[in-house]
Amino acid sequence: MIIEISHFLSILATGLFFLVGYFGLFIKSHNTKYFSNLVARTYSHGFLFLISSFIIYIWLAITDNFSVEYIASHSNSALPIFYKISSIWSAHEGSMFLWIVFLSLWGFIFNIRVHNDEILKSKSIGVISFVLVGFLIFLLWTSNPFNTILPIAPLNGADINPVLQDPALAIHPPTLYLGYVGFVIPFACAISFLLHGNSEIKWELLVRKWSVAAWIFLTAGITLGSWWAYYELGWGGYWFWDPVENVALMPWLAATAFLHSLSVSIKSSQLRIWTILLSILVFSLSLFGAFIVRSGIIDSVHSFANDPDRGLYLLAFIGLIIFISISLFILRLSNIQSVSKIQKFSKQSFISINNILFGTLIFSVMLGVTYPLIYEFIFGQKISVGAPFYNAIFIPIVILACIFLFFSIESKWSRNINIRLNIPILLSILFSTIFTVFVMIFFQTKNIAILCSIFAGALIIFRYIQEILNYISVKKFVNPFSVIAHMALGLLIISIAFNSLLSSERAMNVVFNEAEKYKDLTIVLKNLGVENNSNYDSVKATFFVKDLKGNSFNLYPEKRRYFTRGQITTETAIHTTVLRDIYMTIGEQLDDGSWVVNIQINYLIRWIWISAMLMGFAGLLLIVSKRYKT
Amino acid sequence: MKFIFKLAVFIIPVSFIFLFYILLTNNNNYPGADYNVSEIPFFELKNLEDIETVTPDNLKGDFILNVWASWCITCLIEHPYLMNLNNNGIKVIGLNYKDNKEDAISWLNKYGNPYKKIIHDYNGTLALDLGVTGAPETFLVSDGEIIVHYQGEVNKLIWEDVFLPIIKERKMF
Repeated sequence: MIIEISHFLSILATGLFFLVGYFGLFIKSHNTKYFSNLVARTYSHGFLFLISSFIIYIWLAITDNFSVEYIASHSNSALPIFYKISSIWSAHEGSMFLWIVFLSLWGFIFNIRVHNDEILKSKSIGVISFVLVGFLIFLLWTSNPFNTILPIAPLNGADINPVLQDPALAIHPPTLYLGYVGFVIPFACAISFLLHGNSEIKWELLVRKWSVAAWIFLTAGITLGSWWAYYELGWGGYWFWDPVENVALMPWLAATAFLHSLSVSIKSSQLRIWTILLSILVFSLSLFGAFIVRSGIIDSVHSFANDPDRGLYLLAFIGLIIFISISLFILRLSNIQSVSKIQKFSKQSFISINNILFGTLIFSVMLGVTYPLIYEFIFGQKISVGAPFYNAIFIPIVILACIFLFFSIESKWSRNINIRLNIPILLSILFSTIFTVFVMIFFQTKNIAILCSIFAGALIIFRYIQEILNYISVKKFVNPFSVIAHMALGLLIISIAFNSLLSSERAMNVVFNEAEKYKDLTIVLKNLGVENNSNYDSVKATFFVKDLKGNSFNLYPEKRRYFTRGQITTETAIHTTVLRDIYMTIGEQLDDGSWVVNIQINYLIRWIWISAMLMGFAGLLLIVSKRYKT
Repeated sequence: MKFIFKLAVFIIPVSFIFLFYILLTNNNNYPGADYNVSEIPFFELKNLEDIETVTPDNLKGDFILNVWASWCITCLIEHPYLMNLNNNGIKVIGLNYKDNKEDAISWLNKYGNPYKKIIHDYNGTLALDLGVTGAPETFLVSDGEIIVHYQGEVNKLIWEDVFLPIIKERKMF
């Protein structure tokens, strides 16, 4: 009964959002004040219905209402409340529901924060509403989470997949979704701007903080996902070029380029065409990500159960959105020409180069995702495009981008100043060279890709350190957000380079109480016990590990067998220090009684995530800063 | 110039959408399944540990023959389900396809071994005779006869729709 109320509220919300879309986009009236109020209020009511529907749904999950088919197949009464709630987004229908609720939430916050007099508001809310209607119809028609098992409901649920019973996973999808759907705000405002067709309107200024906010969620979501795969899935690394990682990376790259382009358009009304195209691109790529995981077109840890109908619907929906926005863009192209030419060696010129480089990266990732599909379609053979392809493209382009960034620090807005080899530039080059040569000799490596990356990363960091020193001594102006985000980029590149230079792994056989040596570590298997828990059995090993300096600690890798699904999971044991992780998993027992263990030493892997989070932090500072009012 | 720009902006996304439409609609239900019964071709290959020689005579009874390799990402995705099959008493034989011995062994050590026996087909000769096009592929074999040949990842859905009806019909395992 309660589920029907929830279902009905969703349907009502769909109807209301349709009305908002219609009012917002198609009604022309002289009484604009009346209409903008009407649009804003109707939207708020639609949101109220939808959020109530979702809250009821959460309540049903908490109270173990297994007459709801979705809850019965993804939750279980033995689960802690936290996982009962997160089980809602552990599969297709519920996660789609969450996605839509977040989409409407962004719209709602936009609706209450932006004043009704704002010329772009009503149309933007209208665009958001139509996007919502499209997704709600998709939800209710092809993947209804409100289906019931009646009259006889099962006594207990089928349980959530054990690899999803993890705090990082419970917050990783919502964070990522908030990032994806957040880009509906710049998209809607861009469309609204195109509909008005008046190039005097500064839509870019309106969306700056919204775009940064969405970008922060996307950054954090990707980082959390990378961390989760590392310690829970036992992948033992930070990035695998898995198709679904790629479809999250593409909107991130597009969004990063968009933010840079946006800053130019706000400052000097240049690159406006780029900015509009990028805002459409970011949102389309976010939707494309949803299409890839939900259509079953690829195999991945992230893909949901296959259903071609869902894929077709989503593809048609994305196609429609792209078709309308691009047609509109082409129609209005002559209205939105940039005001003046870009000066050579100005900040604008560097950012347009940045746009081109990011565009290349996005296109390459797109190619990496689609090429195996095309190849399979034509030749009937499965191939995978892996790390070598992406490394070959990313390393040179990122290094090139770093070098442009390095020289752009000197440049000024809208002015052509000759970039001379002045002292800060020479000092940075000198320090970076010394650092790189030191790495080359100390670690005895001749790997050009790694050395160039270290050099490029160091270049940025040393250059910005001098900027900071200048700020402290002579109060030279610096943009704090840019400094933090770009230094984080330098740190990220250096961490990745050192990680691939120094990390190593080995599988070895261990026997009880016999010391095994690996690199500087001595490893002894001390104990192995079987533990019985409420929903799984586990084999838990105790390893005593000691390094050359005499530091010692215990590691407890585990293998678990979950009762309800019979699934076996590997629980990694990780010992973290500032510079490295010691990462251990146990495998099988061999016939001679010895155990196979896999040990990895991962250098600076934490710093990769720390740098990514630092970038997000720079965005957060921008949002709360008083320097930018909107 | 402007016209070309407009055209490009329009054509690129449209062609991507069209491409995905073709890929999606082409994906009919189980294109990978082949139910033609045939005999296992003769072969003589070493096992992965390089200790014993495996021929069709060593492989009696009902089993699943799974073609995999450590370089194959889809095999890793398929892997937990094979572990599950093995735990439920389904005999799974592995055919290690065009793979280094060391890589294959460390892969198994890292993720677990679902196979009762592993045939090491470094040159892909047996795979060629079996009509394997890539990894993963899975065969259902009963007394020397191949009953089902499935190309692609085996998961719960595929197992229940492609394999289980035949296993029940023939009262295998």
